[in-house]
Amino acid sequence: MSDTEPTLPADPQAYVEQVMAEIADEVRLRRASGDLPPKLERELDELFLAHSPVAGRGGDLGEALRMVDAATFIDPVVPVESERAAGAVVKKGMRSLLLWYVGWITHQMSQSSSAVSRALHIVDDRLGDLERQVEVQRIPGAKVVEFPALHRPDAWWVEPAVAAVAKAPGRVLHAACGDGWLVRRIDAAGGDAYGVDPRAHLVDAAELGILDLRGEGVAEHLRAVAAAGLGGVVLTGIVDGMAGGERTQLLTAIATRLAPGGALVVHSVSRDAWEAAGAPPEADLSPGRPLRADTWCRLLGDSGYEAVAQPGPGGEDFLVTAVRSSITTPYPPSER
Amino acid sequence: MSAAAGRPVAVHQFIPALNPHDATGTHTLKLRDALRAAGWRSEIFAEAIHDDLASQAYKHWMYPEHAAEGDVAIYQFTTSSAVAGYLAEQGLPLILDFHDFTAPEYFAGWEPRSVQRAAAAGEELALLAPQAVLGMAKSPFSERQLRRAGCRRTVVVPVLADYGRVTGAPDRRVAAELAALGERGGADILFVGRIVPSKAQHDLVKALWAYRRLYDARARLHLVGGTSSFEYAKALQGYVDDLGLAAAVRITGEVSDAALAAHFAAADVYLSLSAHEGFGVPLVEAMVAGVPVVTRGAGAVAETVSGAALVLAAADPAYIAAALHRACTDDRLRTALVAAGRRRAAELSGGAAAATLVDAVAGAVAR
Repeated sequence: MSDTEPTLPADPQAYVEQVMAEIADEVRLRRASGDLPPKLERELDELFLAHSPVAGRGGDLGEALRMVDAATFIDPVVPVESERAAGAVVKKGMRSLLLWYVGWITHQMSQSSSAVSRALHIVDDRLGDLERQVEVQRIPGAKVVEFPALHRPDAWWVEPAVAAVAKAPGRVLHAACGDGWLVRRIDAAGGDAYGVDPRAHLVDAAELGILDLRGEGVAEHLRAVAAAGLGGVVLTGIVDGMAGGERTQLLTAIATRLAPGGALVVHSVSRDAWEAAGAPPEADLSPGRPLRADTWCRLLGDSGYEAVAQPGPGGEDFLVTAVRSSITTPYPPSER
Repeated sequence: MSAAAGRPVAVHQFIPALNPHDATGTHTLKLRDALRAAGWRSEIFAEAIHDDLASQAYKHWMYPEHAAEGDVAIYQFTTSSAVAGYLAEQGLPLILDFHDFTAPEYFAGWEPRSVQRAAAAGEELALLAPQAVLGMAKSPFSERQLRRAGCRRTVVVPVLADYGRVTGAPDRRVAAELAALGERGGADILFVGRIVPSKAQHDLVKALWAYRRLYDARARLHLVGGTSSFEYAKALQGYVDDLGLAAAVRITGEVSDAALAAHFAAADVYLSLSAHEGFGVPLVEAMVAGVPVVTRGAGAVAETVSGAALVLAAADPAYIAAALHRACTDDRLRTALVAAGRRRAAELSGGAAAATLVDAVAGAVAR
């Protein structure tokens, strides 16, 4: 937009790619400086949701039923106020003329709506009963299981994990992020990372003005992420104790949210470490047990990843690095 | 084209609704002309016909009056329609010209009628796709949808659009209004498309808010296009008001071609954050008009722009604001994007596009 005649870069495509990289750097700097805190971005989303109809706000059945109840009665007596002198008289006359007809129709519509509302309340009651029965037999969700000797910044697997996602084609999600130490490392290596962790007290204690950390579970978070919205996902301490169904759901969600060429990195402890006397209590309280490294590679291979496992030096843990392969990708190879 | 010569066959088109100033309507009319030029008889049959085009088409149920042995039907698949069931019963050799449709989940919570209609469109696609002798998609993204629906033979063909409308004479009144706004300073950001949840205009507003906060406090957003989602449009207006952007966001409604040309002429950057696009005609229009494009790479967008835009993985306001800043202030980048955009637009438009389509039809008819 300057007055001088701009020149075309020698290699326009390379220049566009350079600009994209500079934009990523710019965003990191802006975030680090607190110009656009993550909290503010979330508030913007919540502000829009406040304007959306009930079903757009999260699907609470009780709230939806209250709206149905409130909208059940359709009033045939239309308002007749008018800014013109004769307007109210004309409107009132029309209302009187049409009321028998409109009233007959709206009465049936109100009755129909009431019947639907009643049916929904019955469904709500029965669902409540069912939920109470299911609760007794419920398999608890896996806890975050952290082994202090293995989940630390100087652990052997940190460098390869960071290297696998630092050049990812989009934002990198770390779960469970704790106080954000791995998020900071990925950022420092040139990536654009953020973290989620269900242990809200850890997140609250972190430097939220600088790091983008969110106090929520990874499955809950992924539901709000757009398809192909992530360039990388790092899972540490959360998949080891998952039951099969929960693990499958998580991997399915990740597969749809990860951009083509994106990387999934899983750090897991071995079964021996899991069963050892010094393992944290959360290991006992989790419904599942860790998969072996070969099983992870097979599982991810079947899901369209190219996976490689690295065993830890002490045999206590391993790292699986997987790249989501795709026939067509919107990202040029240089951005993968 | 030669495949049509001497063949006693008519290639008729069927479409749910034929409207002027509408991408599928324009495509259908241009394809009709190209088919006729290739030597086929060709008429348009529609469930709904806009008054302005009453002389251009027949109601779909009038087809038997025009039917002849050897007829081939092209169905312009845009949304759910009674035409789908009608065609399934006719048993004609069928070519699906697939324009994609917005999946029901994008309307969930906003427009129950649209959810129902989109779900019905999915069922109609599943009904017709296995019957089709050819599925014509507008992008590899849409082609994959056609294949998943059961289409055995598919091809990607261009949209026949009137891209020249954005470089035509601009509406003087609108151009003057936009010029007056431009004199106040600040970038003019443009988006063209219906105001519906899948186009995510609320993300555009959020991005504008971030851009104004971080880079350009006087920037404006122009949202050009009508709406088919009253609830979403109402929520969008409320959001704009709550953010204090009422003076910075112009929601124009539907505009004439001349007014559209004025908007493209005044725009500093074209921004699209749609969550779903089967092709994205306005993206090509922006490239034709020489406006740099910043876009989210959802659906077929990355394939449509093919490297001639700043493509972002998600509607992250910080990224978008930074990308807008570069697109508005970096002259080398603007030059590169405009040059690449014009090249890409040339690939997608012009006489070759119609010939590609007619050749695809001829290939299917000849089998």
